[in-house]
Parts: sequence; C-alpha cells; structure tokens
Amino acid sequence: MGESPDDIALDVRDLRKAFGGVRAVDGCSFAVPRGKISGLIGPNGSGKTTTFNLLTGVAQADAGRVLYRGEDIAGLKPFQVFHRGITRTFQITRVFREMTVFENMLSVTGLNVPDHAARARAEELLDLVNLTRLRGEYGGRLSYGQQKLLEFARALMTDPDLILLDEPAAGVNRTLLQHLLDHIHRLQEQGKTVLIVEHDMNVIMNHCERIFVMDYGVKIAEGPPAEIQRDERVIEAYFGRRRQS
Amino acid sequence: MARREHTRNLVLLVVVALALALVPHGVSIYVRSFLLFTMMYVVLALSWNIISGFTGYTSFGHVAFYGVGAYACAILVADYQWHWLASLGAGAVVAAVMAVAIGYPVLRLKGPYFAIAMLGAAEGTRVIATVWDSLTHGGLGISLPSADTSMPAHYAMLALMLATIVVAYTVGHSRFGIRLNAIREDEGAAEALGIDATRYKLAAFTLSAIFPAVAGGIQAYKVLYIDPPSVFFVQITIAMALMSMLGGKGTVVGPIAGAVLLYTAQELTWVNFPTAHLIAYGLFIIIVARFMPRGLVGFAVDRGWIRKGMVH
Repeated sequence: MGESPDDIALDVRDLRKAFGGVRAVDGCSFAVPRGKISGLIGPNGSGKTTTFNLLTGVAQADAGRVLYRGEDIAGLKPFQVFHRGITRTFQITRVFREMTVFENMLSVTGLNVPDHAARARAEELLDLVNLTRLRGEYGGRLSYGQQKLLEFARALMTDPDLILLDEPAAGVNRTLLQHLLDHIHRLQEQGKTVLIVEHDMNVIMNHCERIFVMDYGVKIAEGPPAEIQRDERVIEAYFGRRRQS
Repeated sequence: MARREHTRNLVLLVVVALALALVPHGVSIYVRSFLLFTMMYVVLALSWNIISGFTGYTSFGHVAFYGVGAYACAILVADYQWHWLASLGAGAVVAAVMAVAIGYPVLRLKGPYFAIAMLGAAEGTRVIATVWDSLTHGGLGISLPSADTSMPAHYAMLALMLATIVVAYTVGHSRFGIRLNAIREDEGAAEALGIDATRYKLAAFTLSAIFPAVAGGIQAYKVLYIDPPSVFFVQITIAMALMSMLGGKGTVVGPIAGAVLLYTAQELTWVNFPTAHLIAYGLFIIIVARFMPRGLVGFAVDRGWIRKGMVH
C-alpha cells in the first residue's frame, strides 16, 4: 500500500465499533486515495454506514484511528469534523423541511464568511443543480430527487476537500443520477476526494477508481473495479450470504 | 429587495413606538395597565419563541426567568435600596447565569423530555423562592416602597418590548437564526453540517431568558408586591406558548400578533363573560389548533399572502 501521506486523503486504521454484542465495525482499515473517487461496498449490515458515521463523528469509535491531514479525527464531534473540510450526505435525505431551499443552503456556512459571500455561493450552487427557481420553496415540498440535489449542493457550501456520499443513487431516476455523477466527476477534476457508499454496482464499477469491500465489519478486499469484480471473497460475501437468508 | 422590507418594518416599528409613547397620557389607568400587559406578553412570547420557535425546544418553564427577574428587582429595591432600573439589569444577569446553568444539562433532552424538565425547573425555582426565607421573605412575599410607578413602568416596558422585537427580528433574519432553525428541523444533520448545536442552543436559551427576567422586574416594580405563586404562575408560561402558536411560532410577527390578539381576547371575554371567559378562551385555542396548526402566519403563508421563509 502506498503509505505516502500525500497520496492518502483519509487513513482509517483498525476502526472498531460494537453495539451491545454486535461488532458492526470490527478492525477495519483502509486508505482513501487523495483526489480520486472511491467506493465503499458490502452486503447489507456489513458495517458501511457505521463506518461512515465513525468517520464523520456521528458515532464514536470504540478503538482505532482516522488520520486526516496528519491528525486523528476519530472522537471529534460531527461539526468539528465538518470544519476540517469533510462533508457528507445522508442515505435518506435530511433536508431541513420547514426551511426554504435558500435557507437550507445558508445554514451551512463558515462562521467567518461574510453574508454576501455566503449568499453568492448559495446562488451559484443552486444554479449548478438547477434549483434556482425553487429557492423560495420549503425543503419538504421538493420531490425526493430535488431533495437529493439540494442535499448535495448544501454539502458543498463550504468547499470541502473530502466528500462522503451515502448512497447517492438510492431512489434517484437515471437522468438525475447521471446529473449527480457528472457533478461528482467535476468535483474530482477540481482535486476533491470523494468516497461513495453505494448499492448500485453500476455506479461503483463505472465511476470509482478504487473500491473497498466490507463484510462483517472488516475490509475483505480492495482494488480497482475490474479486480474487485473477479475477487472470490467479494462474490462469496454477496452471493454466499444471499442463499442463506 | 430584502433591504426595502427591513426599512418598511423599521418604519412600522417606529410608528407603533411613538404611538405607545404618547397614548398613556390620555387614557385611563385601566387602559394603561392593559397596554402594559400587552407589551409584556409581546416580550414574553417573542422570547419564548427564540428557544421554542426558532430552535424547536418547547419550554414549559420559562416563567422561571420571569419570576427570578421579579424577585431580583423586589429584593434589590426593597431590601438593598437599589435604583429599580439597576435592579432590572441585575435580574437580567441572574437570569442569564441561571439559563446557562439549567440549559447546559437540560438542553441535552429533546421534545417532551425537555418540556417536562423545564416545567420541573420552574417549579423548583418557585419552591426555592418559597423556602429561602432569609433572601426572599418566603411565602410572605415582598412589598416595594409605595410610589406611583405606572408611568415609568410603561416606558420601561415599551423600551424592553422594542429591544426584544429588534433582537428577535435580527436573530430571525440572520444566519444565526437560520442555524437555530436547522437545529429545530434536524439536529443531527445540522451538526453534521458544521453547526455546534450545544453552543447555539445555549446561546438561544440564554437570550430567551434575559427579556422575561427584565419584564418580571418591571412588573414587580409596577404592582409593588410579589410572592412566589404570583410570579411563578404556570399560566404565564402557557400564555407565552399559546400566543406564539396562535400567531405562528418560528416567526417574528407571529408571537407579536398572537400576544396582542390573545391578550385582547382574554380581556374582552373576561369583561363580558366573567363566568364563561375560560370556556371561551379554551374554545378559541381549540379552533386555532384545529384549523391553523401553524398559526396565523402559517395560514397566510399557505395561501401565498406571505413569502415562505425568513431570509430571501
């Protein structure tokens, strides 16, 4: 594994989290390459979302380290992780329903950003995702796809370096998905690092340069898409389990 | 566009302020007292709305701050010969300290748990005021030196109301206010998006405690006698909540309109139907809750009379 810190955006080492007797994440390690789009996959219950929650401070790890820019960010609160340049979206959208689209955007701003700059940034991002004409509408009145776009745009308000996307394709039609993926690629072109948790194999295989596969709370495989598709452990994790259930 | 709206609202506020500054000279003591109470409820409803409307933490114990402010004024004026205006400042400081002390643990609770904990905090404060004889004179209450206080109280309440409106308006139309709204809508998501919810909630809670304390102090100075049951009266908290909800919580106009309407309605029903006024009052609340769950402002927004949101 290339251990050069310049190539690695996020270095996850031996992360552990148990809920009662269930070891959701059980010594998981992986290194997210900088400036690339990576995918985190695994069967249901393999610990992907828990890992995401541990990376973003939503849940506190029992053990392990998450190194970001030379700092261990495991144990930080979500807002502290966010202010270090890491942002995320949620599996099920969490737009602020009784706030307008524009207010949703403005709620996510650095404290030191002047008002006019925050507004300009919000306008620009809304324009990017084609939500400008809905800026005065309540978040809760948007369609699911529009909420997904709003959440995506909202996560970019502070120009983060590392973007974690939790199932961006879930519940999104093909046209919109293509739209989202275009945006994700544009972010990568700007030098951002993207990590996607996703069930949609097309998205993962066609858009990620590196894939991490989790099962039973540990990483069982890692590599480029072509390699992962042939990996027997991966096939077993997915299809072996399905037969039993 | 937004600036023109702010200017219009400011002009409106100045006109109302001037009217309220001139009116008390030409009216009866009853009307003056009515105006004082109306302004007081505007202060209380708007303050309650900062933590419960903007931030979504419904408090059933805000009367605690009102009562503490009343006691700070009464004790300092009656026992320590302070100037009453200085005692109002002291009341505000005491309420702010108390808000931080109560808020830090209690704001970890959500929904009904927070509401009940606040109810408990208010009742606890009332009990302390009742048993701490050496400071509060216990159940005997405190009498202030007799004086004609109705005019100075009127102007103090007017000034307080204007300050509360300006602060609530500024908060409501700021990014600080938007972040409070985000906490109300989804605290977890708000934190994941960089909002330090604990700090924001505590700031909102403290802000919402200061103005009721000053209102309590002015009220004590006006009526010249307080005791625990009168200034820690649960119904004052309920009034704050109902007024905000009637007008539309989470807005600025809502609590103002709710306070004016509900207090006026209460006075009218009380005067005209002395025995049935509580029934009328109750019916009124049921009708509002049933047909306008988001208050008058929500009703107007749904019909497109007012734009959605506070920041445009």
